[in-house]
Amino acid sequence: MIFLCQRITALNRLLFTGAKWLVYAIVLLMLWEVLSRYLFNSPTSWAPELATLTFGPYFLLGGPYLLHLGGHVAVDIISEKATGSFATALKLAGLVLAAVTGAILLWFSLPLVWQSFSYGETSYSAFNPVIWPAKAFLPLAALLLLLQALADVGFTLSSQKEAA
Amino acid sequence: MESTLILAFMFLSLIAFMLSGAGLAFVLGAIAFISTILLWGPSALIVAVLNTFETMTSESLMAIPLYVLMASILQKSSIIDALYDAMETWFSGVNGGLAVGTIAICTLLAAMTGVVGAAVAAMGILALPAMLSRGYYPPLALGAICAGGTLGILIPPSVVTIVYAITAQISIGKMFAAGIVPGIILASAYVLYILVRTWLNPALAPKPDQSVPIPLRVKLSKLKSLILPAFVVVGVLGSIYAGIATPTEAAAVGVLGAAISAIVTRRLSASMLSEAATDTLRVTAMILWITIGARAFISVFVATGGADSLLGFVENLEASRWLILGVMVLVLVFLGLFLDEIGIILLCVPVFLPIIIALDFDPLWFGVLFMITAQMAYITPPFGYTLFYLKGVLPEGIGIGQVYRGVVPFFLIQVVVLILFAVFPGLVTWLPEALNANAR
Amino acid sequence: ADGTKWRMQALWGGGTTPMIYEEAFCARVAELTNGSLEITPFAGGQIVPSAQAFDAVRGGAFEMMKTFDGYTAGKIPAHGFSSTVPFGFPDPDQYEAWFYERGGLELARESYAPAGLTYIAPTVYGQEPMHSTVPIRTIADLNGLKGRFVGLAAAVMGDFGVAVSPLPTSEVYSALDKGLIEVADRGDIKANYEEGLQEVAKYLILPGIHQPTTATSYVANTRAYDALDDQQKAALAVAAREISGSLRQNIIVSDGEYLKKYQDAGVEIIDLDPVDIAEARNQAVESWKKAATDNLSTRMMESQVALMQELRLL
Ligand code: NA
Ligand code: NA
Repeated sequence: MIFLCQRITALNRLLFTGAKWLVYAIVLLMLWEVLSRYLFNSPTSWAPELATLTFGPYFLLGGPYLLHLGGHVAVDIISEKATGSFATALKLAGLVLAAVTGAILLWFSLPLVWQSFSYGETSYSAFNPVIWPAKAFLPLAALLLLLQALADVGFTLSSQKEAA
Repeated sequence: MESTLILAFMFLSLIAFMLSGAGLAFVLGAIAFISTILLWGPSALIVAVLNTFETMTSESLMAIPLYVLMASILQKSSIIDALYDAMETWFSGVNGGLAVGTIAICTLLAAMTGVVGAAVAAMGILALPAMLSRGYYPPLALGAICAGGTLGILIPPSVVTIVYAITAQISIGKMFAAGIVPGIILASAYVLYILVRTWLNPALAPKPDQSVPIPLRVKLSKLKSLILPAFVVVGVLGSIYAGIATPTEAAAVGVLGAAISAIVTRRLSASMLSEAATDTLRVTAMILWITIGARAFISVFVATGGADSLLGFVENLEASRWLILGVMVLVLVFLGLFLDEIGIILLCVPVFLPIIIALDFDPLWFGVLFMITAQMAYITPPFGYTLFYLKGVLPEGIGIGQVYRGVVPFFLIQVVVLILFAVFPGLVTWLPEALNANAR
Repeated sequence: ADGTKWRMQALWGGGTTPMIYEEAFCARVAELTNGSLEITPFAGGQIVPSAQAFDAVRGGAFEMMKTFDGYTAGKIPAHGFSSTVPFGFPDPDQYEAWFYERGGLELARESYAPAGLTYIAPTVYGQEPMHSTVPIRTIADLNGLKGRFVGLAAAVMGDFGVAVSPLPTSEVYSALDKGLIEVADRGDIKANYEEGLQEVAKYLILPGIHQPTTATSYVANTRAYDALDDQQKAALAVAAREISGSLRQNIIVSDGEYLKKYQDAGVEIIDLDPVDIAEARNQAVESWKKAATDNLSTRMMESQVALMQELRLL
């Protein structure tokens, strides 16, 4: 059980570490656009759009592991002072909210991504790429968030058991 | 009546869940989902996903990771250390000089980056021990760092300003221009306060022994430390106002500038870039996941009639427009005690802006008032980012209570300045209008 | 019994003229149905971003939308032709005639039906202008300029030599001001004046060849629509056709009023030569053919071309 929780966390850590480098890709794409518009007087149709398509997957993949790190903004005036089973209860409540968020985003985004895929939806710009691959990162990240929340529930319960 | 109940239900459960210590993103998201199911029907949950698709491809929100990355690289490139060193040489003879110098550096950092964390963390590490070892009154030192650090919100470029501009559908460039003069006025007000306070009571900020005067040659050579920061400021703001780049592209130019600075100071390395990327994804994921939750929350609120009933309520009030404005600002300050600033913008601006327009106020000017309340939010407990940043670097024997005490006078200055701008809108609108007039 | 209550999200900002016409639409429907169909209007982006309304109505989050088919042209290529066609019909009456007299309405219905949506009727009005910092006196002058256009216009203007940047609407003002671009489309004549484009672009080019005529559409969720009685369905159609005419006439009058304001602000209004445009239209047909990538969009494009030939536009 704990082994599974650790695998999920390891997967999310790996994805976080991979995704963090995408910000440099975004920087280079934007700089290329500035350069080609200002110096060569010929804006590209693809660089800004490719950058915005990278942006969604970039921040979405950061979310699940951030949950494990406790890096999401929270008001800690009560939880900071709480001890024992009350502290555990608060922690579990937070994880349940994260799991609910992940589950609902997953459930409602999957059909929309499927639809985008089956329509072969494009952005209808001058560059006009298909956009389902970028959209597909929402259900993926939602699933990973759900799994991470459950994994952290596992960690919390097992440390509770050890303490008892 | 029904929509008033919805309003009450949503905000009360927001506060209750928030106090549990759960992530704000998920509190907003989960309440939005539950209210959607209860009030609107489960099929409407699709709305949250559709709003997220839009967030995923926002060219303007993409500026957030770029500015965070730039700040992180600057912080690791040691140019802030050099700046602090120069400031110490120049200001240390003045009454309260180190505190004044802290505000000066914070103002410069504010003009370089769009995020608050970099300035507060750096000043907490550099300026705080220096001031304390000289015997500065701790609350004065801590207050100056907190208040100075938040100048980055008002002085462009600024991530909070970008989010406001997008939500209010105002040009980011115009909104940036509107923050410059108020930002300088606010910084000057802080400096004035420190000078007056330490003149009245020199014991708050002891001067060093005048035994070793620093030669002018040394002082002048330290000014070299201004070159790289000036280069970055010109790179970012210059590329926006010279028509080379959009505000988002300018952030990418800023990253390039920060990287070049790091090369000059010989701090650029693969591990530094990797750490900067980690910092950036942490902050970006935090802000953008809140955005997902907040947009879901606000769309339920609007669709179930909450926003309309609030607007109708305000319009039916027989109160003067200034009173209504005052109430709105109070609500913002109050929410700032508990809520994240990006969250406040995403929640309040869609609701408040129609009221502002209906009352015939200028949304640009309101934006500046908003940024000042945002600065207040950053320094007020229980939820204040600068307090979180400082907590990590407080030395032995200095408690968070002293930080709270130090923040009070600066908070009051913010209140005064806020009223000043409310009464004299020209201070805010002058520069953006002048920039437009030049184009004419 | 209690009447039917619907929500409708439109694509206009709150308080704008077209939004006031959407409120009038809802009031008219209520009147024609003796209050049995009450529609609450929402401004663009209030519930979901305008471009996402298609999926929201489809999923049943709200029952009806006033949309611009161009938003979904990436899903349904035909929507490029049922929204606005660069160098297309120069007169909104001609475009509306295509809908009501030449089968456009049926083709538009066909485009929405597979998604579980019912196309009710279009609102058709005239051009949106181009704003420029340099004089554009012929179509050939476009060649080599940097510009901001969206949708099919981005591709077509590209074919005429414009280097197109896809900037967000909120950045058009400062992009013209700072010289990032020389020519841009944004919104209609009045909306652009209120945004202040006269301050930053000294030339206003008419007609807006990238968007000579425009159709926005009333579209309902099919399940919700099928649950209506005949009177309610008829009321939607009647009110939609009324709004199409009354909004168009309002825009005609306000265009005149606002063009005067542009001139007073020192903007030169340039009228392109109809002969020049007609020649360019023949060239634009090639761009249309590239955009018609499936059977339905091809039929739509061909029926528009046929009508244009009858009207001696091609
Ligand atoms: Na700043
Ligand atoms: Na606060």
